[in-house]
Amino acid sequence: MASRILLVEDDERIRASMRLSLEDEGYEIEEAASGEEALDAHARALVSEPFDLLVVDIMLPGIDGFASVRELRRTSTVPIIMVTARTDTHDVVAGLEAGADDYVTKPFEPKELAARIRALLRRARSGEGGPVSLVFGDLEIMPEAGVVRRGGEEVHLTRTEFLLLCELAANSGKVLSREQLLERVWSYDYFGDGRLVDVHVRRLRTKVEHDPSEPRHVLTVRGLGYKLAP
Amino acid sequence: MSTTTGTGLIRRTRAGRSHRPPPEAPEARPGPAEDGAGEPGRPARRRRARPPSLTRRHRHLGLRMRITITFALGAAVLSGALATITYYSVRSSVLSQQTNSLLHETTASAYLLKPALTAGTLQYARWLQDTQSSDASESLLYHHHRWYATAVAFSPPSPIPPALQQVVTHGGDAAQTIVVNGTPTYAVGVWIAPVRSAYFELFPLTTVLRTLHVLLASLLLSALVVTLAGALLGSWAASRALRPLHETAKAALDIAGGRLDTRLETDEYSDLAVLTSSFNRMADRLQERIEREISFTSDVNHELRSPLTTLAASLAVLEGRRDELPERSRRALDLLSAEVRRFRRLVDDLLEISRLDAGLSDLSMTEVPLGDLVRRSVAATSRPVPIHLGPGAEDGRVLVDKRRFERIVANLLDNAQHYAGGATDVVVSVDGPFARISVEDEGPGIPPEERERIFDRFSRGSSGRRRGLGEGTGLGLAIAAEHTRVLGGRIWVEANGSRGARFVVELPLHRDGAL
Repeated sequence: MASRILLVEDDERIRASMRLSLEDEGYEIEEAASGEEALDAHARALVSEPFDLLVVDIMLPGIDGFASVRELRRTSTVPIIMVTARTDTHDVVAGLEAGADDYVTKPFEPKELAARIRALLRRARSGEGGPVSLVFGDLEIMPEAGVVRRGGEEVHLTRTEFLLLCELAANSGKVLSREQLLERVWSYDYFGDGRLVDVHVRRLRTKVEHDPSEPRHVLTVRGLGYKLAP
Repeated sequence: MSTTTGTGLIRRTRAGRSHRPPPEAPEARPGPAEDGAGEPGRPARRRRARPPSLTRRHRHLGLRMRITITFALGAAVLSGALATITYYSVRSSVLSQQTNSLLHETTASAYLLKPALTAGTLQYARWLQDTQSSDASESLLYHHHRWYATAVAFSPPSPIPPALQQVVTHGGDAAQTIVVNGTPTYAVGVWIAPVRSAYFELFPLTTVLRTLHVLLASLLLSALVVTLAGALLGSWAASRALRPLHETAKAALDIAGGRLDTRLETDEYSDLAVLTSSFNRMADRLQERIEREISFTSDVNHELRSPLTTLAASLAVLEGRRDELPERSRRALDLLSAEVRRFRRLVDDLLEISRLDAGLSDLSMTEVPLGDLVRRSVAATSRPVPIHLGPGAEDGRVLVDKRRFERIVANLLDNAQHYAGGATDVVVSVDGPFARISVEDEGPGIPPEERERIFDRFSRGSSGRRRGLGEGTGLGLAIAAEHTRVLGGRIWVEANGSRGARFVVELPLHRDGAL
């Protein structure tokens, strides 16, 4: 069954050409030309056939890309790839903090975008033969089930946040470098953008830590990377 | 928000916007193939903009030195004149006073002698002894054409000079400075009229002279001290006076270096208000102009991205259906693809350069082992170039932004491909505190006079450069140079033995804890 992707882009030619190239890759595409249209389409799809992934341009008329993503994230953990125009800190970090899982920069080769989509849609679960439940203090992680609980209450993580947490949990007590996390969670190579990891760790902390500014589970090891306290 | 740097400079920084250099990158040092204050790879406009430095005149005396010397000379002349005048007036006053008082003393002694002489008694020597003034070392009496003295050590002729003798014996009181046994002595003579005798006393001048010498010495010493004080004062006055000039020069250098919001304080030096306010106005205009240019360039570049995205996506679709196309369409498609790729590279490069110019690019520095970094960077370019690691190169650690480093390597390898038939080797070595990454080729090489210009934008060198298929954008080396600068390193090109060129990127090695 083909994955359904919602394409949010206001430039109609870009939208049309992207649709063509992504359909060639085997995806089912729906289009939205603005943030409002996107939220509508997403809400409607939830009832019938939810989207598997969203591609959102940050430069949108009306509600901009950041606000759209934030709004989507209030109720959904669907994977989101952001399309940015520049790679300077502000845009990329803002987009990641709003809730995007990854980003590509215009102009991109369609193959790049296809690779990022594939990486996000990967069904690889690290659970075969692994433990059913991992417990760290008040945090309970169930990799197979895809569920995380804090103090008994379920925590809603995006796919990427979940994979990140699982990766750290599978290596609890060990320090994982940004490069390692980029490779295992995002399938990036050596030259991946470390900010992806940094912002996702921040987002993770707001969801699983009692006090995100004084983390007790997801710890930073200066100069080396991150680890999950055993 | 404004910060004051040093004295007299205000730097206004706008929130979130700082032009290069970024704070983490250490200052780049000049490379071997360029002059004083420029940096390799900087475009020509920056070299022209370099303002004159006040401290660079070594052949002539600096302004400050000249002011100091003038003050010192003035002080020397004044204090010297003062010392001389003081000395001579004191001296003449002392000496004339002395003449009077010694004359007085001698007269008094002569007066005491008078009765004895009148009486005609003969014990001259003893009288002379008794009546001699306390200050006199000797007294002599010329009586009845004979000389009498307290000391018998005088051999004739008497020590009294004939001229003095003559004056006194003719009825006058007189005095003269003579030298007796090497000692300057004051000889005073009085005429004792009733007994027709001349009475002389000799006063050694050593004390007086010594006092005068001491006076002279202390006057000279104070003149010297005053001269030195004058020099110091001159030096201080010069630096105070020149400070605004130094600060203007420094501000100009800062602006040329990219800190466009540097301004001078206007209230401190009211005399120089014209200088500072016109400087600030000029800087305002300059900053406006440059920022307008940068944002224009950036907007244009940004606008180019959207059509390029559509082009790239549409072409991908067509290329996926290449087999369905007739022969002619296929060829047209190939041309289209190649040109769009080239256009895309150009826009990417332009965007990269304008981002660097605007200082908008962020840095994400990590410490990585050198060998791994170079291997992966070369691998990312998909060019099979052999890599050679010297001793210590494998594990040497550098602090870099990996993506930028990869761009440097990619641009150097592309450049070698476009102009020199491809890079032959990549050599990594460690030299003291530096790591060196060299990209070597066996192409036509770069003549020495072009080795700096080649890092300029859109420069392609002289003859020997061919436009091949898919050649470079003209920005590759400029971008490599900018990235190197931002990483705190140096880049230059040298000859590769007897043929070809060697591009060298030098980066500081990173020791744990050291930065």
